[in-house]
Amino acid sequence: MIEIKELTKRYGAAVAVDRLSFEVRPGTVTGFLGPNGAGKSTTLRIILGLHRPTSGEALIGNRRYEQIRRPLREVGAVLDADAAHPGRTAFDHLACLARGNGIGRARVAAVLEQAGLANVAHKRVGGFSLGMRQRLGIAGALLGDPAVILLDEPVNGLDAAGIRWIRSTLRSLAAEGRTVLLSSHLMSEMALTADRVLVIGRGRLLEDTSLTRLRSRFGRDVLVRSPRAAALARLLTELGASVATTRGGGLVAVGVDAPTIADAAASASIPLHELTPRSATLEDIYLDMTSEATEYRSASERAPRP
Amino acid sequence: MTTSYRLPTASNAEAAAVPDARVFRDAVAAEAMRIRTLRSTYAFLAGGMAATLLGMLILFLLIRSFDGATATDRANYETADPTVVVMPFVMFFVGSIGAMSITTEFTTGTIGPGLLAVPRRRVLLGAKATVVGATGILTGLFFALLSFTGATLLLGDRPAPLNPWPDWTDALPTVISSTLVVMVVSIVALGLGTVLRSTASTLVTLGGLILVAPIFAHFLPTTWQLRFGSILLPNLAPQLAGGNHPYLLPPAAAAAVLAAYLAVTLGAGALTLSRRDVL
Repeated sequence: MIEIKELTKRYGAAVAVDRLSFEVRPGTVTGFLGPNGAGKSTTLRIILGLHRPTSGEALIGNRRYEQIRRPLREVGAVLDADAAHPGRTAFDHLACLARGNGIGRARVAAVLEQAGLANVAHKRVGGFSLGMRQRLGIAGALLGDPAVILLDEPVNGLDAAGIRWIRSTLRSLAAEGRTVLLSSHLMSEMALTADRVLVIGRGRLLEDTSLTRLRSRFGRDVLVRSPRAAALARLLTELGASVATTRGGGLVAVGVDAPTIADAAASASIPLHELTPRSATLEDIYLDMTSEATEYRSASERAPRP
Repeated sequence: MTTSYRLPTASNAEAAAVPDARVFRDAVAAEAMRIRTLRSTYAFLAGGMAATLLGMLILFLLIRSFDGATATDRANYETADPTVVVMPFVMFFVGSIGAMSITTEFTTGTIGPGLLAVPRRRVLLGAKATVVGATGILTGLFFALLSFTGATLLLGDRPAPLNPWPDWTDALPTVISSTLVVMVVSIVALGLGTVLRSTASTLVTLGGLILVAPIFAHFLPTTWQLRFGSILLPNLAPQLAGGNHPYLLPPAAAAAVLAAYLAVTLGAGALTLSRRDVL
């Protein structure tokens, strides 16, 4: 169980994490989602004791990370795939970490085998592809057979087989009752891996919900175009729909389905040029939620989406 | 691929009750493994060996020139003491091992996994200092013995001032003090590396302290040359051993200066590592 309580982190004048509070419970894969610069990595670094919070606290099993004596046996984490010395072999890299936590060499060999790196165990990390380094990082996180696992953008640089391996590994780890927290800036990745998502933007918690609930809350809408848009908008409002106008002059109706709109428009003799039922993808939902909280955007990204 | 893990229970619960001494011992063992599996360690040891052999060559040439000199000229010869010719370079190379033990962690990002495994920063730095200090003692003793044995064999029964030790046992205090200074330099380099976090800046600073500062001291007026020269790390070795040397400090004061170097640099390293965010 991970508990974040009123966590704030400032770097000079910049606020990276702003009174963030949440809990990550065992037995599920929890996605930690937010655009670049939202404060995900900072939060993970504070949880792991690498950064000091300005105020608030981050606890794992009711303790700060630094208070854990054999941390690898309780928490496994990957923050950066490149965090291995290029001159060391994969085996030596893990053996150094293992030795500090009283974990034997047999376990090092076992996690390398599990990560599919057994045949390159005695090769130098400098020659590894990004995907192999990601696997090595995850092998390191599994070294102490931990009950809590934190991964920062673990699928970056992985090929399709690697991504599938991560997904199945994380799902089975959660199924065993472990606490799994996984950060990403891609909703599509979370949709396939996580049961629950925490969405943050500009260091603040925007959503804490299950993926199922998120999908149902952001229901369908209908994009409709007509040369008599004003009349159609009135008609749609009378039907009980909430109506928004797009930049291209189209209308987006929420709360009414496409056949009802078509029948009503026909009865009122309003010509329709387009009638498109749309279901919001999780990606759309995510972009809507974080659009205000995105730090770096181009001019075209700032324009409203149709 | 699926996992075959059981949920961690007994063994990890036991881990919570591990005593401090055991945590520190494991951290030291991990650091020893780190320093052993770093290629640069062997490159710097090779540097120390090359410096020792080069120093022996210089002593050999000096002795040959001494043999061919007149009795009057012989009286003006500098002493053939490896403390001057060999040990400053050995200090630099062995010290660099100490510096690299932390700076490579910052430059490659391995400090992250290192702190995840040993999150108490003073324990991590203490473990590194123990390993770096032990490496300094072992390698310092090896190079000191090698160069002093070489010098004693080359000098044979030649007289003072070329031969600083009428008997080989007279060289022992200098061997021990040189070893101690190499150990301190290694830990000083670790402290500097922890503060500076960059290999290039740390090695330049170390080179400045060990190799450049003594040259700089020569340009000072004589009284200042002696005062400044007496507190420089390589010059502490002869002062610590006592006997004949041109500097100002008695052995106890030299030991105090050496301890101050250790306390200031390691203290500054501990303070910055504890306070600053990592990664």
